[in-house]
Amino acid sequence: MTYDLTSKTRITLIAGMLVGLLCLAFVWMGDDSFHTRFWGNILHNATFFTGIGLMAAFFMSVSITAWAGWYVAFKRVWEAMSLFLIVGCVLILILGLATFFDLHHLYHWNMEGIAEVGNPNYDRIIAGKAGFLNKGVYLIGSMVLMAIWTFIVIRIRALSIAEEKHGSLNDFSYHYSMRKYAAAFLPLAGFGSAFVVWQWIMSIDAHWYSTMFAWYTGASWFVSMIALTIMILLFLKSQGFYQNVSVEHFHDLGKFLFAFSIFWTYVWFSQYMLIWYANVGEETIYFRERVDNYPALFWINILINFIAPFFILMRNDTKRKMGSLGFVAGLVLVGHWIDFFLMIRPGIRHTAHEALGHGHGHGDAHGGHGHEAAHDVAHGAGHGAHEAAHEVAHHASGLPFELGFTFPGILEFGTFIGFLCLFLYFVLNRVASASLSSDTDPYIQESIHHHT
Amino acid sequence: MAHTKDIVYGLYNDEEDLLRAVKKANEDHLEIMDVYTPFPVHGLDPLIGLSESRLHIAGFIYGAIGTLTAFGGMSWIFTRDWPQIFGGKPHWPVPAFIPITFELTVLFASIGMVVTFYVINGLGPGVVNPTIDLRITDDKFCIAFDKSEVNAGKAESFLRSSGASEVHSKTI
Repeated sequence: MTYDLTSKTRITLIAGMLVGLLCLAFVWMGDDSFHTRFWGNILHNATFFTGIGLMAAFFMSVSITAWAGWYVAFKRVWEAMSLFLIVGCVLILILGLATFFDLHHLYHWNMEGIAEVGNPNYDRIIAGKAGFLNKGVYLIGSMVLMAIWTFIVIRIRALSIAEEKHGSLNDFSYHYSMRKYAAAFLPLAGFGSAFVVWQWIMSIDAHWYSTMFAWYTGASWFVSMIALTIMILLFLKSQGFYQNVSVEHFHDLGKFLFAFSIFWTYVWFSQYMLIWYANVGEETIYFRERVDNYPALFWINILINFIAPFFILMRNDTKRKMGSLGFVAGLVLVGHWIDFFLMIRPGIRHTAHEALGHGHGHGDAHGGHGHEAAHDVAHGAGHGAHEAAHEVAHHASGLPFELGFTFPGILEFGTFIGFLCLFLYFVLNRVASASLSSDTDPYIQESIHHHT
Repeated sequence: MAHTKDIVYGLYNDEEDLLRAVKKANEDHLEIMDVYTPFPVHGLDPLIGLSESRLHIAGFIYGAIGTLTAFGGMSWIFTRDWPQIFGGKPHWPVPAFIPITFELTVLFASIGMVVTFYVINGLGPGVVNPTIDLRITDDKFCIAFDKSEVNAGKAESFLRSSGASEVHSKTI
């Protein structure tokens, strides 16, 4: 059986993409001179959805390597989602080139002369990381990794299609070949995801670092991937396809949604608690900033990414009822997008303020680093007394509300919808390009008769 | 033992045979006393009329008690009973309580569920439970009928016709 991407679905998704483009255009027009909000939106959504594709590929590889059979009935959906890495390559290439040619000021480490002793922009801490945080590693490193991942994903997909055409139920030869690619992909995705997370997201707060950050972001991607899988499967089922994907498969996907929401919370909290407990200035600045200036988002994040899935999906039957499962899937998808908002926006706001020469932005970016005080004093002398006073007053009242930075505005959500529609359009298109499930996969019977 | 039962039981070699036989017994309106299997058989519970276990509800309640015990206990100790300062943290350092609260939640839920399970099933140290056939913990699947509930001859012929490899009678 083959899925047919109807013109109605097609038009809806294209309309969604146009909404996204329109929102991006509006963001561009009302932006600062570096178009920080525009590039922030691009970075936010590009990394979010590329990571979802990466996690689909990762989980598929885990399943292939572990001889898992339960997912085979809908394996085409994960194959299609992992193929989104092709679009991801383009998105990351745009970001990398923009970073390389200084088209935006998202990254503090990307400032002119930041690692150059004697330069007014010189920053001792970032200079120490310049071997990793620089334009070349950002562009080349990300693109090499993306290319390898994409190659493996395309190979696995090709083998899966070939298996359907030429294989038979007792023929494991295609599976063995797939397994080699899947097994190679696991360490590449495991270590590589940490590399790209540090480069793309953690380096926004260039002074700060956390050893848990890659896990935390990876868990966020993973939960979003499971949520999107559930939603895509529910959509395809509502269109009359995938009748052999039963409530048992959804039950297991629901368990993954539940379990990895808890895993995400575990990593999120571990990162928070260690930093809170150690109370080292250069680490606490990350949470100080978010708790003080983004309190609503900070607590909403926990509420909808932990409390909601934990209590709603705890029962057996809520994982087996499509209403409650679909609701939680949609909720945590938005929740993890907000999580990414919190990872990305506070840092780029500071960097932009600093690059634009706003005194308070500069002060905020550096103020928390105690060991840097001497440097800051020397550096800040030029700012004058009234700006220092302004900074104090500013700290007392918190950051002013700024749509798109302190809280996602309509345009941010519009951009999100645009990227989501791009993702869905691509995935459904790929799903439609092959039959929905392979009758010759050695595991297909196990999957159809899956029982939890 | 307070009272004994005269039973007739059949041993099957495969869980598929067992499932088919249970379905057939239901169709024939033969009252099955119990079914014994070496491992959980998918789809068996609804066939022999077992409703979903409520053990997990008990588990949730035990867990919630654990959460409250840990969090309430530490809050009381560190704010009322014996306030101390650790590492410059406030008297009520909530993040530091979370790991211990988590541990006690798991501990209460698991121990509570084990004890409940043992009590409900009449298990525990020193309890002797009759074993119908030792092989039902190894490789045999058993359907047992109580002779006071069903006609013994009818039950035996049912067991033989539905593919049981052995049929025996026993008093337990």
